[in-house]
Amino acid sequence: MRRGPRIGLGIGITYLVLLAGAVLALAPYLLSLLTSLKQPVQLARQATLTWPAPWTGENYANVLGGQYTLLPALVVTVQVVLVLLVGQLVCSVLAAYAFARLEFPGKRLLFGGYLATMMVPQVVTIVPLYVMFAQAGLRNTFWGIVLPTLFGSPFAVYLLREHFRGVPQDLEDAAKLDGCGTLRILRHVVVPLSRPVLATLAVITVVSQWNNFLWPLIITTGPTWQTLTVATANLQSQYNGNWTLVTAATTLAMAPLVALFLLVNRRITESIAVTGFR
Amino acid sequence: MLALAPRAWHVDDVRTTRRRRETLTGFTLLAPSLVGTVVFLLVPVAVALWLSFQRWDLVSPARWAGLANYAAVLTDAGIRHSFAVTILFTLLVIPTQTVLGLGVAVLLARRLPGSGFFRVVYVVPWICAPLVVGLVWRWMFDPSTGALNAIVGTRVEWLSSHTLALPAVAFVTVWTQVGYVALFFLAGLAGIPPQLSDAARVDGAGPWRVFRSITLPLLRPTTSFVLITGVISSFQVFDTVYAMTEGGPGGATSVVAYEIYSEAFTALRMGRAAAIAVVLLVILVALTLLQRWWFGRRTTYEVSA
Amino acid sequence: MERLSRRALIGLGAGGLLAGCSIAEDPASDSSSGGTVVTVRLWDDTVQRAYEKSFAAFREQNPDIDPRIEMVPWASYWDKLPADVAGGTLPDILWVNSSNFGVYVDSGTFLNISEELPDSIGGWQQTVVEQYTRDGSLWGVPQLSDAIALFVNDDLVGDTDVSNLVWGGADDTFLPVAQALTNRSGARTQYGFNAGYDLQAIFFNFVGSNGGTWQGDAASGDDTYTFGDDQKSVAAMQYVVDLINRDQVSPSAADTNDNGDFSRDQFTQGNMALFQSGTYNLKNVADSAGFGWSIAPALTGPVGRVLVTNGIIAVGNAKTAHKDATLKVLEWLGSAEGAGYIGAEGAAFPAVTEAQQSYLDYWQGEGIDVQPFLDAAAATDVMPAPHGARAQTGQQAADEILKEVFLGRIPVADGMKQAQDAANAAIQE
Repeated sequence: MRRGPRIGLGIGITYLVLLAGAVLALAPYLLSLLTSLKQPVQLARQATLTWPAPWTGENYANVLGGQYTLLPALVVTVQVVLVLLVGQLVCSVLAAYAFARLEFPGKRLLFGGYLATMMVPQVVTIVPLYVMFAQAGLRNTFWGIVLPTLFGSPFAVYLLREHFRGVPQDLEDAAKLDGCGTLRILRHVVVPLSRPVLATLAVITVVSQWNNFLWPLIITTGPTWQTLTVATANLQSQYNGNWTLVTAATTLAMAPLVALFLLVNRRITESIAVTGFR
Repeated sequence: MLALAPRAWHVDDVRTTRRRRETLTGFTLLAPSLVGTVVFLLVPVAVALWLSFQRWDLVSPARWAGLANYAAVLTDAGIRHSFAVTILFTLLVIPTQTVLGLGVAVLLARRLPGSGFFRVVYVVPWICAPLVVGLVWRWMFDPSTGALNAIVGTRVEWLSSHTLALPAVAFVTVWTQVGYVALFFLAGLAGIPPQLSDAARVDGAGPWRVFRSITLPLLRPTTSFVLITGVISSFQVFDTVYAMTEGGPGGATSVVAYEIYSEAFTALRMGRAAAIAVVLLVILVALTLLQRWWFGRRTTYEVSA
Repeated sequence: MERLSRRALIGLGAGGLLAGCSIAEDPASDSSSGGTVVTVRLWDDTVQRAYEKSFAAFREQNPDIDPRIEMVPWASYWDKLPADVAGGTLPDILWVNSSNFGVYVDSGTFLNISEELPDSIGGWQQTVVEQYTRDGSLWGVPQLSDAIALFVNDDLVGDTDVSNLVWGGADDTFLPVAQALTNRSGARTQYGFNAGYDLQAIFFNFVGSNGGTWQGDAASGDDTYTFGDDQKSVAAMQYVVDLINRDQVSPSAADTNDNGDFSRDQFTQGNMALFQSGTYNLKNVADSAGFGWSIAPALTGPVGRVLVTNGIIAVGNAKTAHKDATLKVLEWLGSAEGAGYIGAEGAAFPAVTEAQQSYLDYWQGEGIDVQPFLDAAAATDVMPAPHGARAQTGQQAADEILKEVFLGRIPVADGMKQAQDAANAAIQE
């Protein structure tokens, strides 16, 4: 039985420390959930750490149907994430297969270029991208949000290439002998064998695009195209200090991803460890 | 001679055609991703470089500014301060999250019953959007109705204090990252064959000695990865700052990414923002290469048991 | 999650095809009713409800024009403005205040109302018309006129007479009352007053009531900031800061500096006895307060009761694609009928003089005597609102330093001098 490095801590202390950490990790969410179920007057009049008396869903009703309802933003975010998921997976798979299995002039140089661009941080590209998109008239449009990351990322290409190179060549050769073209080989041989990695990449894309804030913040204006993160930020700035309402909004904004996470948590934790992606 | 030549020429011809077809296929497959990378990653870097030499507010025509923006980066108190804040922030966050992440990983690696549950719980802070997490903590830190002051018992004005605001933001960042870092260390620990530590223990080494002399050195690839990616992302922190303090109070939490945002989208000084971004890029590339070099010379990848 | 089946792929594709369709009502897209869409941007959600009713009536009379409201939170309203002007994404009509007015007039961003709607000008409140006249022309349609008075929590105040509180000097009747009304011994503090970094409701009125100045004379075009050199202004600010930090009758600046609604929320939740604010909060208080309350005149200072009056105008975008439709909506907003909706539900005090009666009637019906607001609006001795081409930039530069003064980190006199210099430097650029 693997026990890991022993550092002389008893089992009891281990559990104690882990439990303390777990409490610290969950407390803010639970406390804010509690606040969101209170009436504003209760938070203003009574001490913070009291149970809601009475319990109320009015804050959630306001967030879902009020002035600054989060529902349109939720829909926009789902649309953005779906489109980016398809785009990123398709483009990255194609490119990674080209790098993994095909020979063409400049391949090594191009791949090196891909690796180099992984070092370019997002904050550096947002200002020029904004200028480019503003000049192209793509401000405050759906495609303005989606285009910069639609065509895959160097990281995804790198990851998939590593994986494709590990796929046994015989299967592809057999398919080639049967007369399959490259695309058919991809579709029927390589991709089915790569489902774990693809699922991992899908999860990474969904999580990082769902949580994206800076780019949607600057490229959108107004309620039409704001994503969930931007809508939540706007709600907080409008109702600054109305914490029962704001905590309801943050709980709603987090709920979809937390639900997704609980469903596929093993996939996510494996993916983080294996791929090292943020 | 003439009778043989046509056959040899035919074989070569097939090979060239196949190679040409493969090249064509290769570039076709590569095209979308390549277009995306060039247009949305490389071109912006070039545009940023060009922008950094202009003075432009998007309304009036762009004017050549020479090195004025870079001079501003060196001399403007606000910009210099933002770099200082960012460095201080990184120094607060990276060691803390690395050490704590390692500690949690070590505890989780013992595979005690319930470890799976703890693993899930520790990653939950990382899953949620940094912006939303920042807003939740903004409430927690609220002086009047926040939970933190209620727990601590006294009224502390966390986010409006010059001395406490940045540590508060750093704390929130560490809080989100510990579980995530722990997962990497877990994977790294799993890759260490237990025979090594068992052998050392048989030789009489205490648990701390084993940890220090065997586990830690073998964790270097993971540690280097965690440190490199950690520093790069900590230099780019934006969402948490936006949510919690908006760069305040009085610029105490105005990190570089926030400064770029302010310069570009509040003050509409595109050229200056681009100059700061270019300087940041240079710093980050240098840091990455430095760390890779430093760790590259000291890392043992092969573990032959 | 393991099998990316064909069905899932089709589902994803379908989802992708739906891309580009937003379910949020796009203010700028073609109207489903077929008319020209005119976008109207504002920050006040109480008035927004009134506008919706007003626009419903407008649509009946003008079926070919569809005004649509776009709400932007106050906190980011002014930050977005330069970017929108630069990117050409300004709405057709938007609200502006005097701090964010001059520079846009100078760059030709707004429609010239003196030229476009000359006949309507007579129906608007003269103070607001003057406030927004620049280079001889009026550049927007007056919508709101804000006045300042004192909201009183009758349950907390009880019998104490708060109708003529005087601050400052030897005969200070205000401070003892505020201190008596402050109670720090419960789960939550009960505050006596809402001193804080609030330009319109608090410190401009204190400065004016002490005979101090903030800037040079607007009429002669002098926008230089003078508050740091003016001893009376400094003394007035010192009084306000002392209320917060020394006498502690008001919430800490840490709560109020960056949250303009904190004191209002404290008042409506019953945690504050006296709340000095404007007509813009009247509807809000009426809707939320669960206790008996009334309105008293604002505090009087050593020199008198010199309060700031402020107007809000709706400007037309000079680069609008539908100028005629925009002007029609603007004309409606400036008419007694169109603006009547603002007053009819007590949302705000209209700047259209004929519509003001509906406001009075509404509050009379609610049993609230709004006379102190009317008196303040009609006063002749007033503290001028911030003015100048780059008033927002200047004030923001001063805000940064003055907020630190309110937090008690910089002494008042030094801080005001520094803030004055910063503001003057900022408007030079």
